[in-house]
Amino acid sequence: MPMPAGTIVAENLTKVYRTVVRKPGAAGAVKALIRPDHTDKVAVGGVSLSVAQGELLALLGPNGAGKSTTIKMLCGILTPTAGTVEVNGIVPYRDRIANARRIGVVFGQRTQLWRDLPARTSLEVLRDIYGLTSADFSARIREFNRILELEEFWETRSRQLSLGQRVRCDLAAALLHDPPVVFLDEPTIGMDVVVKEQVREFLRDQVQRRGRSVLLTTHDMTEVARLAERVALIDHGRLVYDGKTAGLHDLAGVTWRVHVTVDGRPGATDVPGMRMTRAEGERLTFVPHQSADLTPRDAVRRLIEHLPVTDIRVEEPDLEDVVRAAFGAGR
Amino acid sequence: MQEAIIPNGGVPSRLRAFLLPWRAARITPLTELTQAARLVPPAAMVATQLALTYWLWHALYAGVRVSAGLDVAQATTYAMLGVLYQQFSTVDRWSNGDTMVQLMTEGTIAFWFLRPVSARRYYLIRAVGDIAYGGGLALVAYLACLGIGAIALPPSWPAAGAALITLVFGLAITYYLHLVLDLICFWSTVNDAAITAVQFATGLLSGAFAPLWFFPGWFRHVSAFLPFQTTLNVPLSLYVGRLPASALGIQLAVQAAWTAGFALFTWWLWRRAAARVTVLGG
Amino acid sequence: MAQGTGRQVVRQVRGFFAAWRLVLRITAANLGGRLQYRGDFLTVLAMGLAWQTSVFVFVAVILTRFPGLGGWSASDVLLILAIRLLAHGVVVTVFNSLLLTPYIAQQGLIDFYLVRPMPVYRQVLLYQFPLNAMGDCFAAIVLFAVAITRLRLHWTPATVVYLAAAVTGGALLEGAVLTMVSILTFRRTIGMSVFMWFDRMIGTFGNYPFSILPLAARAALTYVFPVAFVAYLPAAVLTGRIASTGVPAWLAYASPAAGPLLYVGARYAWHRALRRYESGSG
Repeated sequence: MPMPAGTIVAENLTKVYRTVVRKPGAAGAVKALIRPDHTDKVAVGGVSLSVAQGELLALLGPNGAGKSTTIKMLCGILTPTAGTVEVNGIVPYRDRIANARRIGVVFGQRTQLWRDLPARTSLEVLRDIYGLTSADFSARIREFNRILELEEFWETRSRQLSLGQRVRCDLAAALLHDPPVVFLDEPTIGMDVVVKEQVREFLRDQVQRRGRSVLLTTHDMTEVARLAERVALIDHGRLVYDGKTAGLHDLAGVTWRVHVTVDGRPGATDVPGMRMTRAEGERLTFVPHQSADLTPRDAVRRLIEHLPVTDIRVEEPDLEDVVRAAFGAGR
Repeated sequence: MQEAIIPNGGVPSRLRAFLLPWRAARITPLTELTQAARLVPPAAMVATQLALTYWLWHALYAGVRVSAGLDVAQATTYAMLGVLYQQFSTVDRWSNGDTMVQLMTEGTIAFWFLRPVSARRYYLIRAVGDIAYGGGLALVAYLACLGIGAIALPPSWPAAGAALITLVFGLAITYYLHLVLDLICFWSTVNDAAITAVQFATGLLSGAFAPLWFFPGWFRHVSAFLPFQTTLNVPLSLYVGRLPASALGIQLAVQAAWTAGFALFTWWLWRRAAARVTVLGG
Repeated sequence: MAQGTGRQVVRQVRGFFAAWRLVLRITAANLGGRLQYRGDFLTVLAMGLAWQTSVFVFVAVILTRFPGLGGWSASDVLLILAIRLLAHGVVVTVFNSLLLTPYIAQQGLIDFYLVRPMPVYRQVLLYQFPLNAMGDCFAAIVLFAVAITRLRLHWTPATVVYLAAAVTGGALLEGAVLTMVSILTFRRTIGMSVFMWFDRMIGTFGNYPFSILPLAARAALTYVFPVAFVAYLPAAVLTGRIASTGVPAWLAYASPAAGPLLYVGARYAWHRALRRYESGSG
């Protein structure tokens, strides 16, 4: 059976840590040595998700939610306490070598480059480790150079690179061997807007043009909004939401709204499918009815038909608010 | 979706996949040699140490001809080669962030398990590179000392051969000792103090500080049961002729036993370590 | 008028004692902090002892097998070692944190130190409790006790004072070297490794009588790198071997003064460097 390249399937992933409970004081320290009390900490409790080929899924969650633990289980670095996972049809923690050839990983806060070697040499060493031919290597570097602009710091030692340059280099390192699946753990953390956009453009290019599957963990709402059509929310080790980014609004009960400015005082403010939530003189705010299946475009058209509109603006809810509300709803 | 511009090389041939990663052995030597200025201070320190060792032992032997079965030439040669061993048996992995302690605390150890070369194989590749590099530098120093007549040649060809063979096994056992210490990092954060203490223990028990022959009998008896003296004391004793070349057989048997034992133990330890990789950060 | 100066003197004396109380309080706090890591505490202590193993090995094993070293009897060599180790113990207790200067600077602590009502140099010295010093000091005291029992010295008050001056002078000389290392690591110059090498030289050559060295080396280690002043020359004075040192008698007698002189110079340079840092060029 041909391997389903570019897919990630995880079923009921669980990771439980057993830690020793140490009571304070000398007596507690002694007890901890002789007969320690254990407690189980559930870092990830039954997370199921899947990524199809050519999809980009963003994994969103607050600190300590279990994002990094989940992604490490998907990479094969951690063995799950329970549950199954298959990446490219391979069980990652069992067939490490085969898995390693088919995935690329970027950790935002760690680099796999050697500190005292120039970027070029680090990538050449990785070329050897992955067994690429020189021709493939040069071709791939040329491709990455287009967007990542690696030439800029090709000969600089990695300890002297700025954060943005280093992550660009780590991206190249992760994709050098043309893996169908890529994992990124907070890749743009701490970077300035320009570099973030550069990285996003690169990821978009890789997903759309090269058909790679990407699983990305992030805090950054703009990233989710700009990159991901699908998003999974994780909190306290559980998935709170998994679906379209647009659908988040439905979950949270937070929705887009339309602000209109009307000419004079309108008579009737009944617009089918819309509900007025605020009126300040000539400025009115409408939200769609819960039951109405209205797109913002339809709403705009209806408002214009029914009211003497002089100015109209659609406000998308802040993803931050949406997420906050979603976490609240999920608890 | 666009047609792929770059042909996917696919999985490399088995030979390529096996051989090419060995080029990673050049990481540490490359780092050192491209920053040549960094080699000067260690070179100065080695030269100083060697000079002092030479003068010290010649001064000690001013009043006696033989002590503990060694004459002045033998003792001086042994001690100076011991200095070379101490200096070049470890290379600088710290500035590259490549020591096991750093890899564990910074979490970059994760990458060792994400590459198509197993962590165990990669460790071996890097160690071979480091040993070859350290050995190369030691060889240069050795030839220099030989050239100025500070150290002596082995008394015979069989002695030289015996020394060489036991040295190779000694290096293997040293590799395993370092490996065990590094693997412990997977279970607890080993601090520098413990590492230094172990380094001194090995330095003492292998004969790197002073020829083991000078130590009291009970000390030599104890160290005979430990692997440390097989790493340096045996090859050097054969080299200077303190042990006859005919002793090769039994010494080799002891070394082979230690090597096999360590190989099995570390193979088992790697399996447990790999299962235990808990990388920091939530 | 007299009352005014009297009050000034009292204030200065009080200030002096207050400063020392503060030093002790900070040290106690540092110790408390260090004690929290129980495992670390013990291993660092053990490591401190292990560091001195090489010296003990040399003394216990090597020296007892040979009639003497460079014309010095074994017990006289012991005196050089004892003075040097005691001086080193003081250095590690007081000046050790100077080696951590780049780390302190990297954490941005120098800026905090500058706005506190305490000399920056002192705060750098108090950065950490000198745990490894405990092992060094213990080893030094033991060796000194052994040396005293073996030595046939004519103990007079003058001898005791001279011995104390020798230990202090040696400590200040090493302290001067570490202060210079601190300046250079602050500003990240390659010169740091040169001074670290010099500090290592004190640690290796400083243990032995210089009569084992050829004339050129002896001259270099007396007049170029003042290693002789740490322990060798004072020991020569105490054991009555001034003539064999090849150094003018007045210089040998005055050897404990070398340390304080160099230390004052180093401290001055340190404060100049701090001024430059403050003025923004750091």
